Amino acid sequence: MNGTGTPTGGWRIPRHELALVGAIVLVYVVTGWLDPNHTYFGNWAESRDIILRNASLLGIIALGAAVVIIAGGIDLSAGSMVAFSATTCGLLLAVFSDVDDRRLVTVGPLGIAAAIGGGLLSGLLVGTLHTWLITAIRLPPFVATLATLVGLRSFARAMCLFVTRERWGSESQQINVNTPFFAWLKEHNVWISTGAFLAIAFVTWLILSRTVLGRHLYALGGNEQAARLSGVRTENVKWFAYCFGSLTAALAGIFLMADSSVAQPGNLARGYELNAIAAAVVGGCSLQGGVGTVPGTVLGALFLRLVIDAVSKLIKASADIYEGMIVGIIVALAVTLTQVGLAAKGGRVLFPGVRGLAAIPAIATFAGLLAMMGAANVDAIKGRTAAFGLAAGGCVLAILAAVRWLESRRAS
Amino acid sequence: MTSVIAFRGITKRFPGVVALEDVTLEVRRGTVHAVCGENGAGKSTLMKILSGVYQPDEGTLEIDGRPVRFAGTRDAERAGIAIIHQELALVEQLSVAANVFLGRERRTRAGLLDDRGMLEECGRLLASLECQVPADAPTGSLRVGDQQLVEIAKALSLDASVVVMDEPTSALTEAESARLERTISRLLVRGATIIYISHKMDEVFRLADRITVLRDGRHVRTVDRTATTPREITGWMVGRDIASADLQTRRRRGDRLLQVHDLSLPWPEHPRGYRLSHVSLDLHAGEILGVAGLMGAGRTELLETIFGAGEPTWTGEIRLEGAPVRFRHPREACDARIAMVTEDRKRLGLFPDLDVAGNVSLCSLRDALRGGLLSRRREEAIVDGTVRDTGVKTPGLHAAITGLSGGNQQKCIIGRWLLTRPRILLLDDPTRGIDVGAKAELYALIDRLCRDGMGVILTSSELPELLALADRIVVLAEGRLTAEFSRAEATEEKIMHAATGGPPAGYPPT
Repeated sequence: MNGTGTPTGGWRIPRHELALVGAIVLVYVVTGWLDPNHTYFGNWAESRDIILRNASLLGIIALGAAVVIIAGGIDLSAGSMVAFSATTCGLLLAVFSDVDDRRLVTVGPLGIAAAIGGGLLSGLLVGTLHTWLITAIRLPPFVATLATLVGLRSFARAMCLFVTRERWGSESQQINVNTPFFAWLKEHNVWISTGAFLAIAFVTWLILSRTVLGRHLYALGGNEQAARLSGVRTENVKWFAYCFGSLTAALAGIFLMADSSVAQPGNLARGYELNAIAAAVVGGCSLQGGVGTVPGTVLGALFLRLVIDAVSKLIKASADIYEGMIVGIIVALAVTLTQVGLAAKGGRVLFPGVRGLAAIPAIATFAGLLAMMGAANVDAIKGRTAAFGLAAGGCVLAILAAVRWLESRRAS
Repeated sequence: MTSVIAFRGITKRFPGVVALEDVTLEVRRGTVHAVCGENGAGKSTLMKILSGVYQPDEGTLEIDGRPVRFAGTRDAERAGIAIIHQELALVEQLSVAANVFLGRERRTRAGLLDDRGMLEECGRLLASLECQVPADAPTGSLRVGDQQLVEIAKALSLDASVVVMDEPTSALTEAESARLERTISRLLVRGATIIYISHKMDEVFRLADRITVLRDGRHVRTVDRTATTPREITGWMVGRDIASADLQTRRRRGDRLLQVHDLSLPWPEHPRGYRLSHVSLDLHAGEILGVAGLMGAGRTELLETIFGAGEPTWTGEIRLEGAPVRFRHPREACDARIAMVTEDRKRLGLFPDLDVAGNVSLCSLRDALRGGLLSRRREEAIVDGTVRDTGVKTPGLHAAITGLSGGNQQKCIIGRWLLTRPRILLLDDPTRGIDVGAKAELYALIDRLCRDGMGVILTSSELPELLALADRIVVLAEGRLTAEFSRAEATEEKIMHAATGGPPAGYPPT
């Protein structure tokens, strides 16, 4: 791992980042060309705003996820953390507004500052809790943050019911936020969240590559025992990493609350944690720890959101149905491509043994089904989707079978 | 008598090291054959070739007179060879019976697991070994001695004709050791052949019919037990030459830097009960104190305790320049200007994702700060000086550390610590896995540091190294300090004797 992941080093070509830039340009051009309306060329501003806004929010969380991953951990709780901080912020607004003001328009500047501060503080609390669970109780990071992933959202909902009942006498599952400041945030959400994203990216880059703490984060993720034996206070470094992870999610929570004018702990940001981890991984972070960069993570988030938007342009379907599939395929491909490189050099076999043989029809089946569903949107094929899907699946089957045959010949 | 196993001209090389060189050795059927040697003599490598883990680069392995070539451990198992490893290879969560039959589970006619059959068979095997544990007990709940018998039961269920035991008594109580010896005689009655790896002379001379001594990957001698003595065997185990190019230069011994008094470190889960017991020593500026001892004698634990990296449960006293200290984290030791180069370079020392510069500068990043931020130029300047000073050969400061040879990696790690300007340098087996040329350079470096007034504690699994470098040598055996020699009086035989058996008469002076 001496390509892009190392924090030191003179200037060397960031291959992973360049590949991502290339992929982003490619997706942009191909989509603009394939899309019958050519919206990317003709009406780019609209798509740009959507992509920028979504990529910024995803990217802010992904930067937190990246820091935790580089430090050799994992934070699964980001989605619930977003909901928790949004709820905290919304409830504090309710507390600081007039009692009969359920639209929360009467909060003063101090109240707003306190609400935002409270939302961010909730991130530090959760990060500290994670660190305690991981370093003192010795829970694996996966388990500790899985517990908060499940627990925090429920906690936020209970808190919402409790505060609304105490404050207004009637329980509510959500808080409507019409505070002028947050309305202003929403109006300018593209540039404010993009600006915040870039600012956080810069700070994260500064920490990771230009401070002692950053070097210790890489050292911790690369070899925890050696780091400790070199005098690194590994527990404190973990404390920073998990607090940073939760803090970025908390900040994204405040933006998301402003965006939707409502703090709704039940559904806000469900599943965001996995997208954020996916963006970090696509951006070159290794889940083994010790490897990853800020530019890679930024580009990873941008690439993910661009592809999601591009697919929705192409198949004219709601993007969120395909979102999970796209993220899954991209993550698998990002890692697979490095393996294909190894396989081409003869270092690794893609379809070994009986398992490999069984994987070929499995992949072909999924590819065929996907092609069939995609074909429904293309006028020329409409009505013959089943045949098209079958043909596509057959093609994939034939190609993979050929790869397998080549591999078995090379082995013998 | 026929030989059941024959190694003929076995050579095995690893990058930079020849682990075995032209080893020829026959093991006779139905005997106990002991294999002795220092750490790193090649015992384990030879057994790994026998069990199919490694394939020899040259030479052949013969079983029952026929040459064989094992592609993996399964092939060796099929040929009737079972190994009881020092670190037991059992799945602790599974029951004893499940472990014994792991990978060869019995099935009922319906194709389901035949649990009852396996439990009964396993119970019979255990009973024949005087093992009182139920066959359905979770293996992790067993004592080490019983776990070892489970491994032996597994070997028996395989109908193994050759059983290799790798230092089997290192974690056993007296009673368990006696039971193991009875088990061995029972195995012999069944016609099995035992290969017994140990460096405990009393055991070897009680059990073995024949004894082979390996040294530096070479076969030294194979003799009948009746034709030799423990002293002769330990003599063969040692006796190497080292290119000690003028390392005996005059050093000026300075003030006392470090004083360890009555240091004990408990080990609750082990029958011995302690890792270290009442260890006392001191270290002066400008001297090298050698710590000799076999694997598991407590050398690493001693250094880790001083460095604040081990278990915090130790008792006794450690004084640094007269003031009592108790470090709870390596950071505190660093701040007190103590440095430690750890034993297992890959696992405990290197950061594979950082480049050479990042690996060297890690402990002294504060010196590379400018305005609170790391300055790449300062870092490079610092690292460059150290890399030159310690003689690291690297294609560049930003080369991958994993691309360097073992010796150069080790120099980088020593350089890392030198940048912290330590008063005391703890070196835990620093030359392990390093080729001869790099070793000589490291010796010269250590000697120079010492002449500059640093106090050095050096452990090594190679006695000639200690004899060449150290001003004084203390010997640890099973957690106890059993001897202390000045350079003038130390010999390999004396040290080996103190490390393998009891202390020489009249030591320690109480």
